[in-house]
Amino acid sequence: MIGSLTQSQLRLVKQVCWTISLCIVAIPFVFPFLWMISSGLKGPLEIFGQPSLIPTSFRWNNYVEVFNYQPFARQYFNSLYIAVTVTALTLFISSLAGYALARLRFAGAALVALFLVSALMVPEEVTIIPNFFLIRWLGLSDTHWPLILLPVFGPQGIVGTFLMRQYFLALPKELEEAGKMDGLSRFGIWWRIALPMSRPALAAVAIITFLNSWNLFLEPLIFISSLEKFTLPLALSNFTDPYGSPLWHLQLAATTLAVVPILIVYLMAQRQIIESFALSGVKG
Amino acid sequence: MSSLTLRNLQKRFGRVEVIRGVDLDVADGEFVVFVGPSGCGKSTLLRMISGLEDVTDGELRIGDRVVNEVQPAKRGVAMVFQSYALYPHLNVRDNMGFGLKVRKVPGPERERRVAEAAALLKLDALLERFPRELSGGQRQRVAIGRAIVGHPDVFLFDEPLSNLDAELRVHMRSEIAALHKRLGNTMIYVTHDQVEAMTLADKIVVLRDGLVEQVGSPRELYERPDNIFVAQFIGSPKMNILPAASAAGFGAQPAGTASVGIRPEHLSIVAPDRGQLSGKVVITEYTGASSLLHVALDSGETCLVVIDGDSPEADARVGLVAASKDLHHFGADGRAQRNLHG
Repeated sequence: MIGSLTQSQLRLVKQVCWTISLCIVAIPFVFPFLWMISSGLKGPLEIFGQPSLIPTSFRWNNYVEVFNYQPFARQYFNSLYIAVTVTALTLFISSLAGYALARLRFAGAALVALFLVSALMVPEEVTIIPNFFLIRWLGLSDTHWPLILLPVFGPQGIVGTFLMRQYFLALPKELEEAGKMDGLSRFGIWWRIALPMSRPALAAVAIITFLNSWNLFLEPLIFISSLEKFTLPLALSNFTDPYGSPLWHLQLAATTLAVVPILIVYLMAQRQIIESFALSGVKG
Repeated sequence: MSSLTLRNLQKRFGRVEVIRGVDLDVADGEFVVFVGPSGCGKSTLLRMISGLEDVTDGELRIGDRVVNEVQPAKRGVAMVFQSYALYPHLNVRDNMGFGLKVRKVPGPERERRVAEAAALLKLDALLERFPRELSGGQRQRVAIGRAIVGHPDVFLFDEPLSNLDAELRVHMRSEIAALHKRLGNTMIYVTHDQVEAMTLADKIVVLRDGLVEQVGSPRELYERPDNIFVAQFIGSPKMNILPAASAAGFGAQPAGTASVGIRPEHLSIVAPDRGQLSGKVVITEYTGASSLLHVALDSGETCLVVIDGDSPEADARVGLVAASKDLHHFGADGRAQRNLHG
């Protein structure tokens, strides 16, 4: 029967098969997301009742309760401004460091790179105790500083540095030389030539850093104790009844709200992220 | 505009000596071409003049200023790179005006100079385009335009035509020549293509292993090469070099002659019994306007001959004749005999 199909019909059949296969593969990824949105609109009893993706009645009031239960708007803002600050600082520092490692010849450059790689291999959990003592000694406990400084100068900064380094390695030497002939300093070459050309890599670093900072849980848990200084991951785990049991309907409504900025950022920059990973993988 | 003076200029990368003491005088407004085989140091020498490479030793003057320690942008030179090195994130207008912007030239003046250069290079219609939207020749013109707007004393070209196809290369070559005529600036041009060197240069500098082999006009280099290297490097196909004994048929040789050079285009084919030398045609290469014959001489060497019109068949026996004025005599050290005897 297949033999009697024309080329275009065969192509259509193939396309339908592929689409169905991809939809099946996507279910484990999409279903929890839909479940979260659906449960955020249900009552606490309905969540554990007959499983259904469509709520019997839509409880929009959950979203109001989320803001009444704790200073959620403040916590949301905390996460947002910390993530933006960490992203901006990481972009600045990792692009400078990546440029230096890729383009400058200096004594010990290889050692620095090795040191950075080895730092990446140390699990975050191992460094949390010395970091705790360091932060306490600096008098920065229960402030947002550790949530900014530790990612910028920690694993996220290093990952960003390596990503930028890979990108800058592929930068044609002649462009830098043209910059020199035009009167630019090293810093000027970085700022006016290398950076504008590395927008895909910067976008990737920005996304990774923003996501990491947005989802950071261990550090806020260790360093933050005041409710109004909580960030979103801490705040989400704080939707509990007096006995410590989770209030799922509020937690899932709040989680739905927490996902929104991530989705926006990803949708805005997904082309550049994919481009950047492809470039750094192939050219690096 | 400005002259250029190199005195015992040297460049070492670690222990490797790349430029081994170059002396050169370039007059104001002169078009000088550096040629030589790969690795001879011609690009390094150009980069030393531009300031992109430090000078290890010696003195480099532009005009009456010693510029050994002067930053590239303050030397009054502009460079056109082999890869054009256009900034991909800027359009043609911004690419051309970038250097002026860095030097804080006021906006209106910048615009005026860019428009002037664009008109000169016929880039007016392309000013809003990005480099990726330009052809190779257009990119090359933008790169030249970027050099022009800075009003440099000296233009430096680093193999600027090597990325273009043959036809465009010929066209751009004539555009560069016309540009030099119009601007009258001092220009230093690096190429490994000796046709480019011969057609463009007022003066050619032949380099080998970081040393200057000969400096002279294209005609001087072609007609009176100082040594076998220059004799064979300038001219295409390259000059035949025969041991003195094998070239005895050409007539009397100055004392001390070890080898005799004769250009393929200066040899003529005659009947075998009437030739000064004789041999057998091994290969015939038809190139349209002329043919290139590979002739195996009776003495054992192979000689190249360029002839117009009909060429003998392969395996045919031929005689070769040359005018004595076209013969070049070299001593055992490879230097031209006229030098040995003044």
